[in-house]
Amino acid sequence: MLKVVHYINQFFANIGGEEMAHVPAEIREGIVGPGLAFKQAFGDEAEIVATVVCGDSYFNENMEKAKKDIIEMVKKYNPDIFIAGPAFNAGRYGVACGTIAQAVKDELKIPVLTGMYEENPGADMFKNSIYIVSTKNSAAGMRKAVKTMAPLALKLAKEEKIGSSAEEGYMPNGKRVNFYEKDRGSKRAVKMLLNKLNGKPFTTEFPMPDFDRVPPNPPVKDITKATIALVTSGGIVPKGNPDHIESSSASKYGKYDIDGVMDLTEETFQTAHGGYDPVYANEDPDRVLPVDIMREFEKEGKIGKLYRYFYATVGNGTAVKNAKAFAEKYAKELKADGVDAVILTST
Amino acid sequence: MEVNVLKLELGYIFIKDIQFAEQSKVENGTLYVNKEDVKALILEDQNFKSADVELARPGESIRIIPVKDVIEPRVKVEGPGGIFPGMISKVETVGSGKTNVLKGAAVVTTGKIVGFQEGIIDMKGPGAEYTPFSKLNNLVLKCEPIDGLKQHEHEKALRFAGYKVAEYLGNLAKSLTPDEVHTFETPSLTEGLKLYPDLPRVAYVLMLQSQGLMHDTYVYGVDAKKSLTTMIYPTEIMDGAIVSGNCVSACDKNTTYHHLNNPVIQDLFEQHGKTLNFVCVIISNENVYLADKERSSNWSAKLAELLGVDGVIVSEEGFGNPDTDLIMNCKKIESKGIKTVLITDEYAGRDGTSQSLADADAKANAVVSGGNANEVIELPPMDKVIGHPEVVDTIAGGFDGSLHDDGSITAELQVITGATNEMGFNRLSAR
Amino acid sequence: MIITNNDLVYSKLKDDYNILYIDGSFRDVLVKTRDKVHAGYELLTHPLSSSLKPNETPYKSVIISDKKGKLNFNSVYIIEDAIIEYDKFNMNIIKKISEKIRKDFKLIDLTVLESALNINY
Repeated sequence: MLKVVHYINQFFANIGGEEMAHVPAEIREGIVGPGLAFKQAFGDEAEIVATVVCGDSYFNENMEKAKKDIIEMVKKYNPDIFIAGPAFNAGRYGVACGTIAQAVKDELKIPVLTGMYEENPGADMFKNSIYIVSTKNSAAGMRKAVKTMAPLALKLAKEEKIGSSAEEGYMPNGKRVNFYEKDRGSKRAVKMLLNKLNGKPFTTEFPMPDFDRVPPNPPVKDITKATIALVTSGGIVPKGNPDHIESSSASKYGKYDIDGVMDLTEETFQTAHGGYDPVYANEDPDRVLPVDIMREFEKEGKIGKLYRYFYATVGNGTAVKNAKAFAEKYAKELKADGVDAVILTST
Repeated sequence: MEVNVLKLELGYIFIKDIQFAEQSKVENGTLYVNKEDVKALILEDQNFKSADVELARPGESIRIIPVKDVIEPRVKVEGPGGIFPGMISKVETVGSGKTNVLKGAAVVTTGKIVGFQEGIIDMKGPGAEYTPFSKLNNLVLKCEPIDGLKQHEHEKALRFAGYKVAEYLGNLAKSLTPDEVHTFETPSLTEGLKLYPDLPRVAYVLMLQSQGLMHDTYVYGVDAKKSLTTMIYPTEIMDGAIVSGNCVSACDKNTTYHHLNNPVIQDLFEQHGKTLNFVCVIISNENVYLADKERSSNWSAKLAELLGVDGVIVSEEGFGNPDTDLIMNCKKIESKGIKTVLITDEYAGRDGTSQSLADADAKANAVVSGGNANEVIELPPMDKVIGHPEVVDTIAGGFDGSLHDDGSITAELQVITGATNEMGFNRLSAR
Repeated sequence: MIITNNDLVYSKLKDDYNILYIDGSFRDVLVKTRDKVHAGYELLTHPLSSSLKPNETPYKSVIISDKKGKLNFNSVYIIEDAIIEYDKFNMNIIKKISEKIRKDFKLIDLTVLESALNINY
């Protein structure tokens, strides 16, 4: 029998709701909660030998420790596959499932599987690196989720060839796989057109990539008189990261006053970005946010002046939605304050 | 006689076997062919110094390579014009009356027009799954050109040889009673509005490859690259108004067989009068010159608007630059408030992770895929090869070492004739 | 202006057209075309002409405007997308092509180019 280790949160373990989301990770023998549905679906092909239970808040706020501890726990059981969730539309649970599944895959090199609703933030973050089954948006979809997850889990555990996303039920992961439809293409096209014409839902077989083309603005008329602002997604923040901008999946940005600051130094600024080696950016943060050069240009009359504030966030795994939202805010304020141009640095 | 309706009755005579015989005829579902008659027919064209004819039936361990065109034998029984108007018949307008079809048979042309080659058809095994032509009883033509014949003359001679032999076979069915009759009717615009006032009106934009030697398509004998976007009755296409001179990119070029049996036309007719009003076909080319692309797509959108249709299906032909035409057609037609569905294939790389199309736009939100043509496949050796097996290494999708000593082939799906057809002929897709 | 690495195109058309001959690969032609487009030349034909794949045919000819003007963004998108498309194809598999087959690829490139130049062969 194949061995499975299952990961669930405090709610599905029946410990409690939000108020118990701080419970640390623990491992229990056998099945807990929804594991029963998996057991029934697996029949005698696989069994859940242990279940990891972890509070969603605990996991998200102690990610490194939680990952380390859980991997140790899972390692002991030497499972053939690790299954997390399904998380449906619970955001932090989904992120936890994706994160821990990815970590188990990377560290223990065993197949992993999770499931969640397509709008769960964990989906966009992880669907291209681990298999994520698409589920309904609430626990009412548990039976259906397990129905899809269980056979796929068995296939992964047995290292069988995995078919296309449409056949197996996982979220399209950027890897196109050929398979045979029931109807020929022209018939599917006619059906799709009728649905589109009648305002009924339809699913495209090839989602267009989002190019998000932005037409460039005309050049600055007189740069020697212009006010230029520095904006960065390279994570440069005042020493101590007072706003606690996250090193990845940033959920916030900072606006910092550099009035009178001619140069960023190791004592006064740092990087918060977790996606590159911080040594050189910490030694001299101007390398990512070139305040020193801009001050030189100001002095030499090459630019009008450097704008008093800079905006910073961390562009490491930042949700596109968030990035867009931050930028809309900056843009409004910059424009209102008469800024003519922005130099955007990233890493 | 009905006015304002173009009606064609296609009579299918089912062919279950093909044999050489003393006398060419169709009897009890078997197509009998006099080999010498066919050879003589081919050699009427003095550009050929020799010709040979072979058979390839479904399930036989036969590989045909390189495939140039596949043509279905048809014949006009009643009504104006002849099959392949402007090519081997006069230019009289076709698409009405009665036409008989030898269903289950095909003429396949092969030949080394240029050194690099296109198209494999395996009649058995995993390769057979990918091509519709493995299910047909094929008469394969091998013709050697006279020495020093220029490539474009060779291509033309071979093309016409195919039509002539298809016509010869089709004629055998002229006075036969069909096993099945399918009727197709296209009303005039005003008649259609009267008949189906409440049904959504749909047109089909059929894109035709038109880029030069071995990349051409002909409409009533006119080179498509020289034509502005225009309209045509779907039944004219059933009588061979559009024929293929396109040999390149075996997996997604449309053979003459594909044109005759255009599946979008068939499936739209299936729904015609029930869930939609199939108004007409708009044919648009795929030229290399960018201004031509703009002009042709502007014209498609303009015609769709003038026809007042609600929705359009657009099918593509070929790789690379036609993706630009496809997206142009889509964007411009959508901007007229007309809904589109596109049919295309994908080149997503061998691991499936590359960008599938060479062009894209958010408006293309309804796409049907014919599969990833870069998928690597293994074809086992076949007992018999009709044609030139050594060319596999230089076939699109093949590579140095594609052809193994035992006769098996490792190559991309691209090599198989019709494998990722962009008219939606097959069930293969990708996600 | 025709940018090409096809000597058949060069020898046949050099007296009638402004030809920029590149002694290099298909990709070199695309990159040169991109450089010209960035400098303000307009792309007149699609760089991925013909259905022959980048890892099949070594030859490519592209037509751009004779003179430069304002930067044409449409040209930029097309040529940059063409290079991305080219790079998708596994070049490790390009074959040692015989001289006869080279000639055939040169011919197809020429005929496709001529179809754009409206010359009948």
